[in-house]
Amino acid sequence: MSIMSYNGSAVVAMIGKDCVGIASDRRFGVQAQTVSMNAQKIFTMGPRLYLGLSGLATDITTVSNRLKFRLNLYTLRENRDVKPETFMSMVSNLLYERRFGPYFIEPVIAGLDPKTYKPFICNLDLIGCPMFTDDFVVAGTCTEQLYGMCESVWVPDLAPDDLFETLSQGLLNAVDRDALAGWGVVVHIIEKDKVTTREVKARMD
Amino acid sequence: MTEQYSFSLTTFSPSGKLVQIEYALNAVAAGAPSVGIKASNGVVIATEKKHKSVLYEEQSVHKVEGITKNLGMVYSGMGPDYRLMVRQARKLAQNYFLQYQEQIPTSQLVQRVASVMQEYTQKGGVRPFGVSLLVAGWDEDEARPYLFQCDPSGAYFPWKATAMGKNHVSGKTFLEKRYNEDMELEDAVHTAILTLKESFEGQMNEDNIEIGICNETGFRRLAPAEVKDYLASIA
Amino acid sequence: MALASVCEETFGSNSSRFSSHPRVDFGVNFTADDPLANSKFTVPAVAEPADFLANIADSETGPKIRFLHGTTTLGFKFEHGVVIAVDSRATAGPYIASQSVKKVIEINPYLLGTMAGGAADCAFWERVLAEQCRIYELRNKERISVAAASKLLANMLYNYKGMGLSVGTMICGWDKRGPGLYYVDSDGNRLTNNIFSVGSGSPYAYGVLDEGYKWELSVEDALDLGQRAIYHATHRDAYSGGVVNLYHMQETGWVKISSTDVKDLHYRYQDEKK
Repeated sequence: MSIMSYNGSAVVAMIGKDCVGIASDRRFGVQAQTVSMNAQKIFTMGPRLYLGLSGLATDITTVSNRLKFRLNLYTLRENRDVKPETFMSMVSNLLYERRFGPYFIEPVIAGLDPKTYKPFICNLDLIGCPMFTDDFVVAGTCTEQLYGMCESVWVPDLAPDDLFETLSQGLLNAVDRDALAGWGVVVHIIEKDKVTTREVKARMD
Repeated sequence: MTEQYSFSLTTFSPSGKLVQIEYALNAVAAGAPSVGIKASNGVVIATEKKHKSVLYEEQSVHKVEGITKNLGMVYSGMGPDYRLMVRQARKLAQNYFLQYQEQIPTSQLVQRVASVMQEYTQKGGVRPFGVSLLVAGWDEDEARPYLFQCDPSGAYFPWKATAMGKNHVSGKTFLEKRYNEDMELEDAVHTAILTLKESFEGQMNEDNIEIGICNETGFRRLAPAEVKDYLASIA
Repeated sequence: MALASVCEETFGSNSSRFSSHPRVDFGVNFTADDPLANSKFTVPAVAEPADFLANIADSETGPKIRFLHGTTTLGFKFEHGVVIAVDSRATAGPYIASQSVKKVIEINPYLLGTMAGGAADCAFWERVLAEQCRIYELRNKERISVAAASKLLANMLYNYKGMGLSVGTMICGWDKRGPGLYYVDSDGNRLTNNIFSVGSGSPYAYGVLDEGYKWELSVEDALDLGQRAIYHATHRDAYSGGVVNLYHMQETGWVKISSTDVKDLHYRYQDEKK
């Protein structure tokens, strides 16, 4: 059994029209045993910048804390909000520092540019290789299912409400085919002037 | 071992001054004059580059140096110290790019260069730098120009326009009279040359001054032919 | 044996590694009890088929013959019969292959078997058991006891011990002795008790059962207990889920009570707490 699926997780981010969305499941398990149903896997890194982490729970905690540490120093030193692209480089650097003993996580970044509000999503592998797309990115123990859902339900230029619907249905149906993820879903829709966070009712088995 | 037991040469005098730093500033004040002016659409930095002999080959070693695509520097004071700063600044800028995949903002570069200079006022076995720097930059993110001065103490100042080196007081007085906020880069270059001219001894030509400009297209040192044209348009 | 007769030479019983009459290689002769003695059931014709199979069955790179490894099934006897409740999830690794598996095998109108381990193994051997039970009934003009039925199955499984069968089942019914409940597995175990739970979710189910179980339970309370126990197991165990299939074994035979999605159960039980 891979260490990446020791705790179970599912994270997905999508681009809409002038908005982005990011969603994750809520399970924290130890192999087959579901321990808690309110695990945090998405972290706020700025007013319009979110970081989703899938993989080993202990590394999710460590990496989110260390990134917040670096990010706080950055914002104080430079007196400005970080751009999603710049933040991606920070994540990439942090992960590559552990090239020969990696954190067992796969990050997903979703946000709007602090000045232009241009939507941005990307994901990285566990040693920091970034990949950005203009549709959707996925990570976790059910990436096949997530890709299947996203490929079939995502369309360009989704309005915030439609993006929420697409994102939550995509994730919900993907985790329903994964034994290690699910037990609740949280969705963040990031727009220019507001961020909407919603918990979605899900199967609890 | 020697480093462990070497003490800083910069120590407080009984009156609370760091005389070593004051001496360094004296070295700067005795150095060749340089000016910088921030215009609405760019920055100009200029300096005097006089040589003792006519045998000197003027276009091989420069005082105006580029740091990144949109950052450049000039100095007043000691040339050898300046080259060390240029090398450090370039390295700091590339380190920033390596970390963030983004050009270093002018303020960030100045902050980091200044902390190097500060280090040399406190560290054991070293002396302060004998230079003041003028840093000209264009920030892509904010789409605006910046002009900073960086002193041997590690202090740094953002300027609209300033003069350093020999006769800097009269240079500043001249700029205070001539400066206005809406000035464009072309005008600023003229004003910079005129400021240098205030205290210039002898005939100014394209070989004994150096000019660097910075705008949205980046930083560059003007070629002697361009300098010649500017000089002609003033005369 | 059409294929074998066409190419008789290549499939000769001694030259082939797989023979259709494996029993000759066993030290013990179970032929008298073995319902498959005359079937075309192939076992590797080597001195130790169990050792031979252990090498290919246990390899991670080998073909996936395991299915349904995670599961929760339970059964308990009480004053008014036996309650059987099971989940309905089938997994292949972390992938959920099905949420609608029937894990209660209706052997005949008065015998039920539950399914845990390999789906094919359980289904096949309980089908064989059904055949044997019918033959017993015709020969003896009376229904087979739960004890005897479970023992038939246990003996059949024992014949294949160590050869990779994966069966964990509860055989339940109602006979002259009253409610009957036996646990039988592919290791050869055969036990009887008031409460059993089998599968990866069984520890969770036992927790709920032990908390709520009494012999004197009313039918309604007993059925609710069974359903709750499975729900709680599906909630905590990643490899259990889907719907709860609930059966009640009465003197007159089994009755299927309900088939309820655990999603509905979850939110119903959540509301109860308020």
